[in-house]
Amino acid sequence: MTEPITVIGTKTMINGNLEGDEDLTVEGHVEGSINLSKTLTVEVGGVVRANINVRNAIISGVLVGNVEAQEAVHITEQGRVVGDITSPRVILVDGSSFRGSIDMGDFNIETTPGEIQRSTPVTKYQEDGEEKEAPARAPTRVRTVPARRPAARPAPSRSSRAPSKSTAKKKSTKRKKPPAPKVRSVGKTRGKKKR
Amino acid sequence: MTNTVIGSSIVIDGEISGEEDLVIQGTVKGRIVLKENVFVEQSGVVEADIETNNIEVSGQVTGNIVATDKVEITAGGRAIGDIKAPRILIADGAIFKGNVDMDA
Repeated sequence: MTEPITVIGTKTMINGNLEGDEDLTVEGHVEGSINLSKTLTVEVGGVVRANINVRNAIISGVLVGNVEAQEAVHITEQGRVVGDITSPRVILVDGSSFRGSIDMGDFNIETTPGEIQRSTPVTKYQEDGEEKEAPARAPTRVRTVPARRPAARPAPSRSSRAPSKSTAKKKSTKRKKPPAPKVRSVGKTRGKKKR
Repeated sequence: MTNTVIGSSIVIDGEISGEEDLVIQGTVKGRIVLKENVFVEQSGVVEADIETNNIEVSGQVTGNIVATDKVEITAGGRAIGDIKAPRILIADGAIFKGNVDMDA
């Protein structure tokens, strides 16, 4: 066990503060706060009710709380998130659900999405190289949904991307429509519903 | 089969409860309540009261331990606190300070 890997297993519950300098995988329950200098992965079945401060977050389970990520937040198809996200890169995959606000930091609103300059290179994200191939394209598209301009044009871009997606399954085709409005109204839904 | 592993650079302040094995290589403060086995590895530091079925201490534990089956402190393990368990093993080279209660 030389390589530090922290796993909170399916039948484990942690109540309190958790911090560290290594990757953390949550398959069980964590309540409180999480501070990591590496990647937090919430697996399918994992439930996190915490404010988290990490470098990367990959959410396939349930996360309730605010997220601050230095690099990226990736909400996968199975991911369910309620809370505010602050991160230079936020990826909402088709099928994921999210309620809250997104803050990607400052960028020039005049610049076309593909040209937006960011401090963090796109390819750096998938350091593990596992699971999704993290299409460089996906983040670019999602960038067209800045929090402060909720009425941008994510809907067409999302649906046009979906068919080419390697992960397109029966599930995703069925759900192609619903997520789009969710994302589009991200900045507005906040406060409307009880949080 | 996934257990819970607290890696060496992780610090948890709070309560851990569960029904599966727990391996501690990092630091845990607070309380641990488990129905299975706890392994405190060499790099592990625990400052917590522990209730479990089985515990093996190769690292450091400060706090009271109540086990329904067995407590084992290996050579190199350090434990400070009271231990209550039907079976208690303290290996040669282990460091222990506290009361032992084997009435179970």
